[in-house]
Amino acid sequence: MAGLFRGSTVVTAIVAVALGAGAATWATRTTDQATRPAGPRTTAGKPDFGGVWQTVNEAQWDLQAHAARPAVVTQRGVYDYDYARVPAAPVLALGAAGGVPGSLGVVQGDGQIPYTPEALAVKQQNGENWIDRDPELKCYLPGIPRAMYMPYPFTIVQGTDKIHMTFAFSNAARVIHMNAVEGPPDDTYMGHSVGRWEGDTLVVDVRNFNGKNWFDRAGNHHSDALHLVERFTPLGPDAIRYDVTIEDPKVFTRPWTISMPLYRRLEPNATVLDYNCIDFAEEFMYGNLRKTPLVTHWEGETMIVDITRKIPPGDKLHEWYRR
Amino acid sequence: MARRILEALGVAVVMMALAVFLQDEASGQTPVPSGSGGANAAKAGPAPTTPWGQPDLQGIWLDEFDTPFERPAQNADKEFFTDEERTARDERAIADAGRNERAGLGSAQDVAGAYNAVFTSAKPTGRRTSLVVDPPNGRIPGLTPETQERNRIDQEFRLALLQNTSTCKNAAPGCRGGKYGPPSPRLDETAPFYNTQRMNRHNGPEDQSMGDRCMLGTTPDFNGFRRIVQGPRLVAMGVDTGQGQGYQRVVYLSGSHPPKTVQLRHGDSRGRFEGQTLVVETTNFSQTFPYRGSSENLILVERFTRLNAKTLEYSATLTDPTVWTAPWTVTQELTAQNDEQNRIYYEPRCHEGNYGLPSLLVGARLDDKAFRAGTGPNPASHDTATCVNELPAAREN
Amino acid sequence: MNIKRAIGVALAVAGLAGSAVPLVAHHAFNAEFDANKPVSFSGAVTKVEWINPHVWIHMDVQIPGGKTENWGFEAGTPSVLFRRGFAKTSLMPGTKIRVDGYQAKDGTHRANGRDLTFADGKKLFMGSSGTGAPYELSRPGVDTDRK
Repeated sequence: MAGLFRGSTVVTAIVAVALGAGAATWATRTTDQATRPAGPRTTAGKPDFGGVWQTVNEAQWDLQAHAARPAVVTQRGVYDYDYARVPAAPVLALGAAGGVPGSLGVVQGDGQIPYTPEALAVKQQNGENWIDRDPELKCYLPGIPRAMYMPYPFTIVQGTDKIHMTFAFSNAARVIHMNAVEGPPDDTYMGHSVGRWEGDTLVVDVRNFNGKNWFDRAGNHHSDALHLVERFTPLGPDAIRYDVTIEDPKVFTRPWTISMPLYRRLEPNATVLDYNCIDFAEEFMYGNLRKTPLVTHWEGETMIVDITRKIPPGDKLHEWYRR
Repeated sequence: MARRILEALGVAVVMMALAVFLQDEASGQTPVPSGSGGANAAKAGPAPTTPWGQPDLQGIWLDEFDTPFERPAQNADKEFFTDEERTARDERAIADAGRNERAGLGSAQDVAGAYNAVFTSAKPTGRRTSLVVDPPNGRIPGLTPETQERNRIDQEFRLALLQNTSTCKNAAPGCRGGKYGPPSPRLDETAPFYNTQRMNRHNGPEDQSMGDRCMLGTTPDFNGFRRIVQGPRLVAMGVDTGQGQGYQRVVYLSGSHPPKTVQLRHGDSRGRFEGQTLVVETTNFSQTFPYRGSSENLILVERFTRLNAKTLEYSATLTDPTVWTAPWTVTQELTAQNDEQNRIYYEPRCHEGNYGLPSLLVGARLDDKAFRAGTGPNPASHDTATCVNELPAAREN
Repeated sequence: MNIKRAIGVALAVAGLAGSAVPLVAHHAFNAEFDANKPVSFSGAVTKVEWINPHVWIHMDVQIPGGKTENWGFEAGTPSVLFRRGFAKTSLMPGTKIRVDGYQAKDGTHRANGRDLTFADGKKLFMGSSGTGAPYELSRPGVDTDRK
């Protein structure tokens, strides 16, 4: 009896050390024919990823491992400790509904994002200026990989030589070309995706980004030199392992990888309802340009919130929309 | 034994009835495409099938011809143009300098011309005299009395906003139905209905047209490029239309429409194959995105039939008894476009590049400021709505 | 103001609007740009944003007094040009062009590119080989310089 306990303690200790890196690291898995996961297949024998999918994790807040935080934008609290900050004014009224859940992170390896020093400074400024800079708040096309792990569902339609994904968020879309096509005439938000099969894994090469997107709400960013290699591997009929190798020589000192499962929405009649947010974002973006201000004041039982708008001067007005 | 024979007979009767029923359905549902494929049919290969046995609708599709939407009343019985008429229309389009024709320097018309005609496109005239094929006179059926009244109230408001402008002073077409006068007391009223058109006021984004707000693309769309990607249970249609006003639709080949309270910009689409035709029913349209005034009561039934390798026949029937006195149908032939060239820029990033909207709101605020300071005219006296003095029809989407 | 001319332009636009594609400006240019502030510049392209709904061409212009200013000019949609085979490399920084337009009411260095030409007067983006998108009508002097 005692021997049994001792053994299990040792096993537990070994397991704990192995997982100690922080991020959810996948156990090495070989996909050989004998253990091919069950799931729908195309007539060509390849996995059929068609259906409604969604990611369920905290990557949209911050790709890296982090403790739960009071809000996306915070200010110094009573103490100067990082762990004792309080929500900043724009999000204070949301209370605990405005907080950021903790996460083991999705960045593989040492969990670090290998920024150059200049790019790291930009990331930190992005985080502090989230309200004014995050393209998501303006309902701009979210880019890849961000669209894949935003908290909204998306459809995958797997055709004979194209794979079409439509995202609920702003009705964004991407087409993965499985046949040869010329590149796009100009750079894009959602990238230009070219795919091929390696066994049961769909490998997608994504380029031609315009550099205007972020990876998450923490200010992680990239340039127009972003290049992704995605791998979609079935984990059974209702889950896909999604790995992305990210490189951008203008921003990162080496390639790095994120990894996470995508889950099939299993309820009957699973349907993607578009989150068409352009008019949701108009008061946010253009409220300062109304003849008569519209959203200025809110009063609850415990709090009064007053909003004063600023108009960035001259060309800065237009720069705000470019971010 | 007798019972068995009877049972077998019963089954046979049912099977016969079923066979007859299906045949009726097929012949009733699949319209005989008039002039199917035209010149394309002679050279194009047969209609392909997907590896899993459905008619293959995939590709990039475009109506390569310019066809009037409705037929003028005097052409009611004339379903097709003659070759001479087509040539004459094409020659007029080729000779038209469009926006390259400048108006007087410093005139509102010249500003409204905006940019060179090279940014515009002209297509050759098609065979048909209208896209509307039913009713047989090629015109959309009449509006219900409620909709006519609604349009009248809406138009009255827009004309009030133009009252003090030179458009009305000069009785230009843009002021048709209106009159000239001092700035209207209705100037700061909320629009009588949710506004989707251009109007002569810029108090905020809601005073702008859906195009100005980068929300112009609606379903159905008869203008744009459509990329169809088809799987066994889902069909995706990416539409590129207007100036980056495109969008995506997904047709589910299973399931059912959501409850009426769920309203969607492009509705909810459920499809099934009937013989060689994909029949799609779309409902649950949003009141924010009407199509010619029809939204939450619209039932849209579309039919997609691959006629041959290069041609897709597309037909759309619109039914909304609260707006039109009868259903009506549009039919188009779409031609396959080159996929490899990838010249069609599908990313509909109008909103992301919409510097024009904040810019014109700032312009309007500066006009207000100058007027208050006594250094500028009353903004109500300027027409910033009607492009070259033509007010868009209230029903146009 | 020449009413006849204005209506002539209106009818021309309406005639083209018989095509299924609406050809009016994406937004009311009169609300954004000031008819009382016409501008006319020559200069070198510094950047082109091939974006929707309007292409923006940025240019260094020499203004009287020797200073250089950077201006942005709002033109039409790139979608039509892309279909004809133009791409982001079709107008590179350094190219010398001329622009006539009207300055934005907000007083920034922004105008609409009412008329965009090269120094020799040829309009920007006219396809000299007249290839065009295969289904289009080829309009001499408008989208092709082939007669």
